[in-house]
Amino acid sequence: MSDKGDPVLIALVSCGSEYAGVQSELEKAASMLNAKLVYPEMDVATLDTIGMEFGLEVASPDLRLMMARAKAVVEGVAKVDGVFVTSCFRCAEAAIVRNELRRYIFEKSGLPVISYSFTERTTAATLLTRLEALTTIARRKHLLARVKQSGITAGVDSGSTTTKAVVMKDNEIVGEGWVPTIKVIESAETALQQALDQAGLKREDIQAIGTTGYGRFLIGEHFKADLVQEEITVNSKGAVYLADKQKGSATVIDIGGMDNKAISVQDGIPGMFTMGGICAGASGRFLEMTAKRLGVEITDLGDLAIKGMEKNVEMNSYCIVFGIQSLVNSLAKGSSPEDVAAAACHSVVEQIFEQQLQEVEVKEPLILVGGSSLIAGVPKALGDLLKIDVIVPPHSQLIGAVGAALLASGYVSE
Amino acid sequence: MAKVIIYPTNSLILSDMVERFGHEPLAMMEKIKEIINTVGVDSPPLNITPEGPKHGLKYAAVEVPAGVRGRMSLIGPMIDLAEAGIIVGDSSISFGCMGCARTNELTKFLIREKDIPILEIQYPHTEEEGQDFVYKIAEFLKSLPSGSDEK
Amino acid sequence: MAEETEDNITKIVVISSDSILPTDAAMKVYESEDSITIKETCFGTMVNGPREAVLKVVETLRSMDRNHIFVKERGFKPGAEVRCRAGRGGGPRPGFHFLREEVNMLPMIGRALDKYEAGEPLEEHEAPKKLDISKLKKIIDSEL
Repeated sequence: MSDKGDPVLIALVSCGSEYAGVQSELEKAASMLNAKLVYPEMDVATLDTIGMEFGLEVASPDLRLMMARAKAVVEGVAKVDGVFVTSCFRCAEAAIVRNELRRYIFEKSGLPVISYSFTERTTAATLLTRLEALTTIARRKHLLARVKQSGITAGVDSGSTTTKAVVMKDNEIVGEGWVPTIKVIESAETALQQALDQAGLKREDIQAIGTTGYGRFLIGEHFKADLVQEEITVNSKGAVYLADKQKGSATVIDIGGMDNKAISVQDGIPGMFTMGGICAGASGRFLEMTAKRLGVEITDLGDLAIKGMEKNVEMNSYCIVFGIQSLVNSLAKGSSPEDVAAAACHSVVEQIFEQQLQEVEVKEPLILVGGSSLIAGVPKALGDLLKIDVIVPPHSQLIGAVGAALLASGYVSE
Repeated sequence: MAKVIIYPTNSLILSDMVERFGHEPLAMMEKIKEIINTVGVDSPPLNITPEGPKHGLKYAAVEVPAGVRGRMSLIGPMIDLAEAGIIVGDSSISFGCMGCARTNELTKFLIREKDIPILEIQYPHTEEEGQDFVYKIAEFLKSLPSGSDEK
Repeated sequence: MAEETEDNITKIVVISSDSILPTDAAMKVYESEDSITIKETCFGTMVNGPREAVLKVVETLRSMDRNHIFVKERGFKPGAEVRCRAGRGGGPRPGFHFLREEVNMLPMIGRALDKYEAGEPLEEHEAPKKLDISKLKKIIDSEL
């Protein structure tokens, strides 16, 4: 995964990371990616005035230090390839500064910026995906500029719930595979074989292979993949490719089996993004459980939801335990399965709104991807909530695999 | 010799004054030295591991951010040892150990809550204030048990 | 980071004196026979070595101009890799900014210590009062 050559320089704009026990995790994640964390030099006198200059008066000196470092990055005093803005989780003062700085740096410098709030439990593994996306954007801009797939390539997305594979040939998807993730490598093998069988191709026909998802490193090694890439970059690329919105701005929302992503994309390159992953109530799992309680297949839940009215069901919680209980209670009180299905879709979408969309600007077109996008009630609920037309591109559930196959074709020798 | 906690906890002036007048400053620098030399722990630069914020739970609840609790794991034990305290206000430019306003509020509160002699004073801006500052600190330090005259 | 033995300490000695230059202080340290290392920085001289030896040297330095030489301990030894801006990726270490602020106050503190030592009584100063309402009225009227 770590590229050879010069390390990517990432400005660490943080307060408290050294005191919260996460500094070494940050360093660890960076070194795994051949990235180097740097601390922008700035004019010390700036610290006296930066609060008023930025227009944000804060009590904590370290937050002023963050502003001064951000300014040094924007003004090019510090030469860096990307910026990681981070502060303690649950600190309101820092959250305001963090969000405004991320916006400021991104808008004024065009550098990739990622923001994150940590606790002492934050590990290098958690930070890795975020830093990996950051370093990729900085390092592989040429790869991300690719708009067409060429040759014969495969993409495998080893997700937490399902493993997806596609085989592409000359800018067309010619084979698909989709299996539940049980054993990571075996599931990937099965999915890829399904795709190859459908395409009528053999393993040796594949000229390049890309892997993504939770299991990307393991299967990447197994398949000797040309590209092993986190989901933020891959899914952004895959989404704008499938939706045919490769130029300009777009917002990609990915509702996966276990976590969600909201990504602000510009010309196919991810800018700001947020990743969920601590709440099952905002995931496809919630919908699976609802389908199970309603006694319908997950694939039928969407059509059911379209016919229902979520307002007829009182939901007291988004939680996968208590929220589902609310739905069951409603059924007992006589609510129709249609209303309950609609309420479940709305619940998931509202959670996405609460957790993910607070930090990402929603610019049209809004492209919804991931397995849950196929449940018709979900894009409808999202559109209702945001008052925006939601695009669900074809093969939206295969987004990671398509993105990986597309990007991997950059490794096919012409 | 009294153990005197100083605030800001990394102050050169306060640490020097306390020592100058024959007492022992409880300051961040010694604490940092202690922690960075902990055998078997390698978590640069400050060697604060995820255990730090957990030790900080003694001084702040779990809902308090990790950075505050991590800092409190350094400052808290010093407050526990303090026999006297000097708190200097208006120290707006202080970073790192003193960079978090919430930690600083909690630190000052915990010092004030202790039943020990405390001097509260502002950083000086003028010559007159400077004199006032030094005199008050000197007199305070002399008033502490077994405080010696200037060495 | 290199292993630091238990009783090795580092002190920062900040010279704010008209009569003593940092180089004088450095020479004084070099004269001592103890196994002391020093490093001069923008704001002071770092003295590192075994505790007893450092305390002895620091006391010698202080005595050169007692009220205008200030000392504090430092957690990191001179050139500690984890704190070195070359190793750490640039940017002054956080404590530096505060040290800078305090160093600017030292001449004032030094003069006050001189006065205190000389037994000069503290001059009482009246805190500036709020502007009298009648005076404010006068100012307003004069502007008109």
